[in-house]
Amino acid sequence: MSGKPVRQQFADTMLALGQEDPSLVVMVGDISHGLLQPFAKACPGRYYNVGILEPTMMSMGAGLARVGLFPVLHTIAPFLIERALEQIKLDFCYHGLHGNIVTVGSAFDYAYLGCTHHCYCDFALLKTLEGVQITYPSTPVEFDALFRQAYRNDALTVYRVPGDQHGVEFSAADIRLGKGIKVADGRDLTLVATGPQLKTALGARAILAGRGREAEVLYIHTVRPLDEELILASVRKTGHVVVLEEHMRSGGLGDDVLRTTRKLSSVRYASASIPDAFVRAYGSYQDHCESVGLSPGGVAALAQREFGP
Amino acid sequence: MSQAATAGHADPGILNKDLRRQIVDMVVTGNNGHIPSAFSIVDIVSHLYRCVLKFDPGNPEWAERDVFILSKGHGCLALYVNLHRHGFITDDDVAQFCRKGGILGEHPDFRKVPGVEASTGSLGHGFSYAVGIALGQRIRGLGNRVFVLVGDGESHEGTVWEAAHVARNYELGRLCVVVDWNHSGMQLLPHDDLPAKWQAFGWRTKVIDGHDEGELGAAFDSVQFESRGIPTAIIAKTVKGKGVPMLEGHGMWHHRIPNAEEYARIMEALS
Repeated sequence: MSGKPVRQQFADTMLALGQEDPSLVVMVGDISHGLLQPFAKACPGRYYNVGILEPTMMSMGAGLARVGLFPVLHTIAPFLIERALEQIKLDFCYHGLHGNIVTVGSAFDYAYLGCTHHCYCDFALLKTLEGVQITYPSTPVEFDALFRQAYRNDALTVYRVPGDQHGVEFSAADIRLGKGIKVADGRDLTLVATGPQLKTALGARAILAGRGREAEVLYIHTVRPLDEELILASVRKTGHVVVLEEHMRSGGLGDDVLRTTRKLSSVRYASASIPDAFVRAYGSYQDHCESVGLSPGGVAALAQREFGP
Repeated sequence: MSQAATAGHADPGILNKDLRRQIVDMVVTGNNGHIPSAFSIVDIVSHLYRCVLKFDPGNPEWAERDVFILSKGHGCLALYVNLHRHGFITDDDVAQFCRKGGILGEHPDFRKVPGVEASTGSLGHGFSYAVGIALGQRIRGLGNRVFVLVGDGESHEGTVWEAAHVARNYELGRLCVVVDWNHSGMQLLPHDDLPAKWQAFGWRTKVIDGHDEGELGAAFDSVQFESRGIPTAIIAKTVKGKGVPMLEGHGMWHHRIPNAEEYARIMEALS
């Protein structure tokens, strides 16, 4: 593990690609301003710290796309996804324009800042919009690989940049947009994890192994388009699936896994996610993971409770 | 208002009677539409397409065209009749207004209508989008001018002022906003000095009669359209429903379809 935050990799990737591609333009809502100074200096006229006006920044990004530029819009998740949702829907998606949205502070990454800074419905909201690609790159390698693959395609792509990382080293060649990764083989149940929760899934797998149950672990860095084939193949074999995600239960990855596996007979399903209720407490990211059962022990207990010993 | 108009008779001072009649015909055949909102801006839009904008109806995406965005999308009939007059859309398109298979609805659709630059209708989007286009043109080193028409009611939306703030600070001198100041917004929020607001945001501001060809011409002629300069807001004093006394003002006609008798009276006033 490089130790580099994914957010730093975002800035590094902007710098590297910005020097190659004069069509890349970065707009931020007064966040990551320091991190992006190398890009700003290397790419004059293509970096804008627009201010605290996310809906207008989103519409402006669509305007940039309309004239053939490749915009990158960045700030804290709730202000970019929830506040500016209609601008995403109409100005980007209905117009059929490409673009890139890079968020930080999704789910309860900024738990200590309270409810205004939570954003755990972003997958659900974005999945209602035709053509949006949703990624959750949770290591620097993943961010760089996914961004390079997606940023110039015809879609609007969202990159949910986490504060934590899962700690598994993937090579850039392992990372293909829309393709999940089988991280560990198993025959008794499938753990489907997205984002930093891959770490939790691997911890749970170790606990379950001690109880004589082999868990297969799938990693999903692209929530949409979803690698349904990988999920189906695994769940067809194991018949049991737990989805781990830092997202509200409704509308998250788990719902897509349920839909994907609905035609398989006798599939047992469980969700380790944020309950369908407001997260009201302060505290740390880790505190909140623990409280919703996103811990190795919590997931192992959930599997045992739902699927039997 | 002239004496003739007050009496409900044809007013020789009314511009674009042909376009106004076409708007009414479209509303009657389509059984939908905002006549007064279109009448409020039809003289402005007509002037832009006849005297100001560079465009090619045979190639709506012509790279050197000026961009015109109707941010107050519910006034789109004024845009449609001008797009029809200048060859962007056909008689058949017009005849299909608000029909399921048609391309023209009560708000304009960028993906359907040649010459429409943005799908507007949700107020407060088109201006911010236009600011992005103007900035993008400058980033790309292009010289296209960008015009956007916003309503004064639309100017209740905070995004209008976000966009005004950004455009002034980024010195988007090739951006020109026309405000349709028909006092719709002041029905609800009467303390609303629009010229002072635009001036406070640092824009070059002109207040004109939006139904006067000479004032429209002088206003657009005076805009400098510098690559980096102060953007211009032309605040056009207009009358909702202008041209037909029974339609003027802010009453029931906002979204009403004329019956046969009303249609005859409207057409008489526009004869």
